[in-house]
Amino acid sequence: MRRNDLRLVVLMVVSAAAIALVAAGSGAASGKHATRTQASGPSGVVGKGKGTIGKGGGFGEKYQAPVSTLAHALFKATLLPSNKMARNISLAALGRSTKTVNYDLALKCWKNNGCSTGTGGKYTVAYVEGFGENVFRQMSKMEFILDALTYPSIGKIIYMSAHSDLNQAIADFKSVIAQHVSAIVTYPDFGDAMIPVFQQATKAGIPVSTYAWGYVTGPGTNYTTVVGEDTCKLGKAFAYVMNTQVKSGNIAFLGGFPGNPLSAGWQTCEQKALKPSIHVVANDPTNWDPSKVQGIVSGILAKTPDLKGLSYEDAEFMAQGGYAAYKAANIPYQGVFTYRTDEAGMGCLYDKLKDPKLKVFYYTAGNPQIRVALTADMMKLAGAKIPPEIVFPIQLQNAAVRDMCVKGYPSQASATSLIPLSLLHRMYP
Amino acid sequence: MDAATRDPLSDRRNRGGAIAGSALLAARFLPVWLATAVLTVVAAIVAPDALGHTSWSYVLPLTSVLAVSALGQMLVVMHGGIDLSTPGVISFGGNLIAGVSTGQNHRLAIAIVACLGLGVLVGFANGVLVGLLRLNPLIVTLAVGQIVLAWSSKYSREAVTNNPYVPSDLSSWATGKQLGISAVFWTGAAITIVVALVLRYSTPGRRFQAVGANPRAAWMAGLRVRTHVVLAYTAAGALYAIAAVLLGGVTNSIDPQFGAAYLLAPIAAVVIGGASLAGGLASATSTWVAALALTFLTQMLVTMGLSAAMQYVVFGAAILAGMVVSGDRVAAVLGRWMRPARSAPRAAGG
Repeated sequence: MRRNDLRLVVLMVVSAAAIALVAAGSGAASGKHATRTQASGPSGVVGKGKGTIGKGGGFGEKYQAPVSTLAHALFKATLLPSNKMARNISLAALGRSTKTVNYDLALKCWKNNGCSTGTGGKYTVAYVEGFGENVFRQMSKMEFILDALTYPSIGKIIYMSAHSDLNQAIADFKSVIAQHVSAIVTYPDFGDAMIPVFQQATKAGIPVSTYAWGYVTGPGTNYTTVVGEDTCKLGKAFAYVMNTQVKSGNIAFLGGFPGNPLSAGWQTCEQKALKPSIHVVANDPTNWDPSKVQGIVSGILAKTPDLKGLSYEDAEFMAQGGYAAYKAANIPYQGVFTYRTDEAGMGCLYDKLKDPKLKVFYYTAGNPQIRVALTADMMKLAGAKIPPEIVFPIQLQNAAVRDMCVKGYPSQASATSLIPLSLLHRMYP
Repeated sequence: MDAATRDPLSDRRNRGGAIAGSALLAARFLPVWLATAVLTVVAAIVAPDALGHTSWSYVLPLTSVLAVSALGQMLVVMHGGIDLSTPGVISFGGNLIAGVSTGQNHRLAIAIVACLGLGVLVGFANGVLVGLLRLNPLIVTLAVGQIVLAWSSKYSREAVTNNPYVPSDLSSWATGKQLGISAVFWTGAAITIVVALVLRYSTPGRRFQAVGANPRAAWMAGLRVRTHVVLAYTAAGALYAIAAVLLGGVTNSIDPQFGAAYLLAPIAAVVIGGASLAGGLASATSTWVAALALTFLTQMLVTMGLSAAMQYVVFGAAILAGMVVSGDRVAAVLGRWMRPARSAPRAAGG
């Protein structure tokens, strides 16, 4: 190639890059609504309704939360754990939603994966997880930060994601232990493989709590507590829906990463509770990846085009990947779907399709559970005896009765999250 | 030399050499076609549902996405390089499609231009680092890919999460069918044919192949080797960007893990398609067939209802088997077998 030709190629490349950057810049600038940014506000959603639930307090906490906050996060304000201490911890955590925090600081902390809170507090808290690359995890991260900012005693917040790498996840845990953090909250994507580092942290006096029913063997011994719904009861609730709505036929299960405790929990119990006339024709992990969901659902539909129902954790991934698979196969998106989460996107798709043969039953995604996990850790540091499990009751919602398509929420966001909407819009403009 | 002075033995040797050369070329690229045929027969026996319309409605478009990204990888591998920035380009490219268009059809064109521009820019950066600065391609492209992924993640959070859907014109086109087959499939097939024809029948294409086959000889013949390496990575980046556009149309929306599956799969497709990682000749059509085999195998295992663990085992075993009988190895074995045996040197004197 001659020198002139090389110059021409370079010119073309530079031009292409310039066009790309200008286009990207103009795209980012256009279509965006000017929003009034709120510098500070309540750390959670506090509705207009009056009334609180709970009384008393201890270990630096008040066991009281607004009815509106509880109803927003749990569907019903009374869906609290039955164990007294677990209930008090939940009320304490969710009640902190009324405390004012600095949203600019929260956003900075969220974008930078950690920050100093500026209070000079003696505690450092860490949220460490195996995988953080979806909106649910990023929203949980913000919930953690908002709860942490309500504690003047917390001086530093750390966040780490291992990007689906087990070795990295273990290394991250060891790293925060070596940094002498005061408390750790985590979602154990790799299940019992995390036991050694959980034990190491516990031995070092660092409370470790999990959320979203991130169950690892030995809560109360190997680590402080697991927060979430009883996934076995969740599975039974899914089975109840299938037994009454599907009655007979083929259904499928989808899960997250292979071996993760959340999927294993509900799938085992749902399988056992199903009527003999209902057959589970597939049970596949999706790594909580919408494109993998599309491939898996496509494969299931190839074998079972008359699939009557499907149970999965993530509603939005089915709205994206699953719906794409049905559409490509020219099969109507109909059947009974039971989900653990309540993303707005699935609700909006349900509303758009307006198909009476499409039935969706869902539970809360549970982002606020991470606040309960952190508060449990903080109460442990204050000397409280924390129950090994903090279990929320299950009540599935029917999309035909309670609309998941909540205005203003990004499609991948759960509308039961306690992140104030103005802050959520700053997270995802 | 006229007919009277032509040496018949030399003619026979020339014809024999041409036949041997053709046999070696076929041996390099034929195994993947045979393996795909065997896979189809196996599917017909153990998982006939995998050969149904529903399965193909997923397999064919995704084959094209993998094939287009594998073609980019193929161009790099032909020059003895490797490119691990594929997931980064596809991820950021997909996010640009959604973010620049903001879901609006009238902004689709500029979004596609932005995506292609990104691919070209990243490819050019890789080309400069590898071709001009002579840095190790494995490390450099991995590093560039990580940087691109980081920017993609930031851009996704700021501009895409609130509206992750691609414009309806793109998704409608992608789900549209001509002759009952996805438009994405036809696009991928057309790109494959164009790449094959350009490499085989155009002067720049032949030069490109010559540089990959023997850089030193090409340099001595006056070809600019380093420029061709830069061009290889740049063209690869453009092809990854095209794959991002196709994938965006198929999935209809862009999620934070968009493109993550395209790190090793394109490399596997290239190698199973008969190319050598040391550089040299490669076949666009065989690479396409390898992409089809990999995508179909994945789908077949799901359709069979195997557990996740067994799917990984079977898939890994199939890849290993594919590597054992890969065209590169077959060609090497055949080449050694066809080499004439050397006679023992005569003793000096007597």
